[in-house]
This record gives sequence, C-alpha cells and structure tokens, in this order.
Amino acid sequence: MRRHLILLLAYFAQYAKVRVSYRADFLIGLATSVAATAFSFGFVLVLFSRVPQLAGWRFEQVLFLYGFSLVPFGLFNVLSLNLYDFGNNYIVEGKFDRVLLRPVGSLFQVLFETFRIESFHEVALGLLVVAWASRRLGLHWTAREILLLAGFGLCGSVIYVSVFLGLSTVSFWFEDRIGLHPPAWNLLAFGRYPLSIYSSFIQFLLSWIIPFGFATFYPSVRLLASATRGGTWAGTAFTRYAPLVPAVAAATLGVALLVWNQGVRRYSSTGT
Amino acid sequence: MALPMPSEPLITVRELSKHFRTFRRREGIWGGLQNLFVRDYHTVRAVDNISFSIERGEMVGYIGPNGAGKSTSIKMLTGILVPTEGEILSNGFVPWRQRAAYVKTIGVVFGQRTQLWWDIAVIESFKLLRRIYDVSQRDFDERMELFGQVLGLGDYLHTPVRKLSLGERMRCDLAAALLHNPPLLFLDEPTIGLDVVAKDHIRQFLRAINERYQTTVLLTTHDLDDIEELCRRIMIIDHGRLLYDGPLALLKQKLLRTKQVKFALRDSEQAAGLGALERALATNALKPEPVDELTYRILFDRSRVSTAELIRQILAAVEVRDLLIEDEPIEEIVKRIYAGEALQEVSAPAS
Repeated sequence: MRRHLILLLAYFAQYAKVRVSYRADFLIGLATSVAATAFSFGFVLVLFSRVPQLAGWRFEQVLFLYGFSLVPFGLFNVLSLNLYDFGNNYIVEGKFDRVLLRPVGSLFQVLFETFRIESFHEVALGLLVVAWASRRLGLHWTAREILLLAGFGLCGSVIYVSVFLGLSTVSFWFEDRIGLHPPAWNLLAFGRYPLSIYSSFIQFLLSWIIPFGFATFYPSVRLLASATRGGTWAGTAFTRYAPLVPAVAAATLGVALLVWNQGVRRYSSTGT
Repeated sequence: MALPMPSEPLITVRELSKHFRTFRRREGIWGGLQNLFVRDYHTVRAVDNISFSIERGEMVGYIGPNGAGKSTSIKMLTGILVPTEGEILSNGFVPWRQRAAYVKTIGVVFGQRTQLWWDIAVIESFKLLRRIYDVSQRDFDERMELFGQVLGLGDYLHTPVRKLSLGERMRCDLAAALLHNPPLLFLDEPTIGLDVVAKDHIRQFLRAINERYQTTVLLTTHDLDDIEELCRRIMIIDHGRLLYDGPLALLKQKLLRTKQVKFALRDSEQAAGLGALERALATNALKPEPVDELTYRILFDRSRVSTAELIRQILAAVEVRDLLIEDEPIEEIVKRIYAGEALQEVSAPAS
C-alpha cells in the first residue's frame, strides 16, 4: 500500500514533468477545458431563466445538484483519458505487453499513465456553485456535512471510474477503436438533473444498471436535506437511498475489477 | 529470490506449445459483415512442442523468419503469454504463474518499441524505473556510472527521448532494462534499424555486461552478424518447431557446402567474354550471376567442382581486376534451412 502510494506520487510527478515541458499546450488545454465547463454551465443558467421550477425542484436546488455533480466528475476526468484511449493505446498498439513486464499491478499502470490535471478546475467550479446555491437556499453546513460531501464525491468518482473501466475492458475481447464510451458518456449527463423528471425506465437504469444516479443525484438529495434541517420538498422521497452510496460504489468497483482480471487473463492466453 | 544452483540450467523449457484459434477474415464490406456472424476457425500452432535449456551466462541467438514463433516464445518466456502446453522454469520461477516476482529478475528490450517516457529527459525515465523496480540509490548510482562509461549515456541523459536518434534510444532502452541488474536479459531485435556503428556499440555493451555480471542473454534477430559476434550457440525456429539448437560453428561446418567466387571485370569491354564463360560453366551446371555493374559471382558446390578449375575457366574467358573466394554467407545457410533443405544434416541437434 505504502509502496503504491509512493509510486502514485512518482507517476504523477512524471506526468507533471511532461506537461510542464509543453507549457503552451498545458495552458491551451486548461483554457479550452474551463471554457467547455463554462458553456455547459451557462446552458443550465439559460434554461432555468425560462423554467423557474423543475418537477418540484427550485432553480437553486437544481443548481446545487449540477454543482455537486461536477465534483465526482472532475475527479474522474483526471483519470478518464487513460480509460478512453485504452483499447487503442494498449491493445491495438500492443503497449499492454510492457505493462505485464513491470512488477506493478497492471490496472495501476494503466489508470495512472497520464493525468488530466486541468480537470481539477471542474471540482473547484462545482464547489463554488454548491457554495453559492447553499447561500441562496440558506443551507447550514456543519463539519459532518462537509465530510459527507467529500465522501460522496469520492464514491461518485469511484462509480464513474468503475463504469468506464468496465467498458474499456471490452477491448480485451474486441479490438474496437471507437469503444463503448460515447453512449455511456451521454448517459452520464442525465445524472446532473433530478432523476424524478425521467421515465421510470431511465430512473431504474441510472440507479441499478449503470448507477450514475448514485454518483450525483442521491448524494445531492441527502446533502440538501441534511443541510435544510426538516422541511419536505420533491426530493425528500429519495433521501433513503443515500446510505447505499458507498455500497454501490464498492459493488461497481468490484464488478469492474472482476471484468478487468478476466480481460487480463484473456489477453495472456491470446495475446490480442 | 529463488536463485537456481549453479549446476542446473537457468532456463528449462519442456515440450512447450502455444496454439491460437484464429479465423479467416473475409474481404470487403459484405465479407466484414459475414465475419460478424460466421467464422471458420482454425488452430495455428505458433509454437509447437519445443524443448531446450539455457545455462547461466550463455548468450543464445534465437532466429527464424517472420511468423516463425520467435515472439510467441519470448512472450511465454517473459510471462506475458500462458502456454497451451508444456513447462517453463526460468530463474526459478514459472513465468506466468509468478509474474510479479519473476519480472523483477528479468530485463526485456523490444527493439521496435521503447519503454521510456517519450516526452521527457531520459534520466527521468530511469528515476521512475528505479522506483518501480525498488533499486537502492547506491546501486542506481553505481549502474548509471557503468552505463555512462560503456554506453556513453552521459551526453544525452538530459535530452527528451523523442529527440534521440534510434541508436541512442536503443542504448537507453538497454540501460533501462538492466537498471535492476537482472540475471536474465531478453532482447527482441535489439539492432533493428541501426547503422553499423550503433550496432557495434550495442554488441560491445552486451559483451561487457555478459562478462561483468554473467548476465544470460537470449536474443532474437534478423541480423546474423549479431549472432556471429555475440553468440556461440544458436537456435533456429520455423513454423513453431525448433530446427536447430547447437553451436554456430557446427552449423557452418555441417552445412557449408557452397562457396562463392566473386570477380570484378577489368572494364565494361570484358563483358563480351561472359558468353564464352557461361558456355564453359554450363557443363557443370553453374552460372555467373551479376552482383553489380562489373561484378559477378558464381556459387558452387566445393565437393563437386574444384576451385582451381573454376578460376582457370574464368581467367581464360575474361580479364578480371579482382577475384575473391568466399564461404557461403551464414544468411544463405539459414535461408536454406528455412526453405526446408539440409534439415536431415542437422536433425540431430547438439545438446
């Protein structure tokens, strides 16, 4: 464990050196990434200037959900590039051989190959939006809720990483260059709005099949409710799912690891 | 770390096989669609029942044409692939079963692919590898000094990998593979694409490492000069089968039937005499082949044709500026083995 922590820092330092050696590239990357977040955030603002209420949710509550969803999303995005390119980079081009020749876990090497450092801005922006919405809603934050937010954020990023890791693993069986990521990526955006606006099918899908709801929606409801102290609203019915968040994160990760190990086993029996 | 006793071989391979199930890909869009649903599978025996052992400190050349099964064997020996059948005991480990522990005791270089971080200075790659392989700072410094001396790395340690020439990069890759001082080194085409000077550098380094640390080396190559300069022992594989395993000298001695006479005409006017020469040679079923504008060569079987007689015939027909008698190049011997000829003669591999 300690060795892996040191190695993680070493990998991160290695990547930071790469990025620093291309300073212009880093700055442009950061700028475009911030712009992309700002645009999608602006879209939500424009939308809600027309629609003051959404399925019983106030504008500030939706904003809170949106802001919180950026926290796990940003954390996930720091690593997402590795998963997105996995099939092409490692299987088609054969880099996975080298991974197997090093005395460090294969998943560790793949997951921490590069870091999209600029994605930390999403976390920062998300926290800002959460703070702003909290003030407008008159939410009261205690140390307990702050810890809860951090825990939920981490669990959410574990869910994202696990889902996309599972999808990347498909490359062990099929040499696909496009991957299954884009459709899942679209689904991910669904979790930024109250689940109650969707059909029961989509609600079920986002809760129990691809549990993006547990990364964003259920935690947000819990945070809003606990900070509100009593008082019911459209989201109250969903608070009872929040205690399941760590379990869902662990289960998703477990499934992803299982599939990953199967994939590695398959790789070493076929070499493709 | 399990170190084998000095008396037993470092690598033992017994009846090793690797079969792949593949399907024939149909062509075109329609064929591609058909591929999705109907596949006629067949089994490819990439490695087919091979056995050998390698002693500590040996340098062994592993050669064969493309697709012969070299890479598949190396991948099994390094623990990347699991064999279909057979056993490997290497460095005291079963490679694929104890992979994490095993890979700490081997070094691997793929000539076609670098393991260094592309965008940053070479030294940064070495530093990270030091952590990955748990090499102490003292050992690291000592080895860097040695690599600096023998490989001349010092000059470009601070250059990004992408700016290195192929030869420089290969030296760095070799150093990277040896950072943890593995007793066993696998090299897959270490001199591919290098110029003569760079190749020589690599070979000298391998010899130095082998002498100093008793490092055992198994290398695949298409460049037979690598083998002649480095390896006393050679293994030839084709169609997944081991065709020859023994000393290089023995292979030459047994298979060296053909010699060649190379001659350069004094000037272009002498080409007129070639017709007469061809007629004279035809009785022995020999034929001059052009090498370049004025140079020709004649391959002949030394047991059937006397060298002296042949030279007399050449000199009688044309005036030459230069004349050279050579043994058949090792490439030609290997080509004949690949072509299936001369197999009987080596069918009893020397141990």
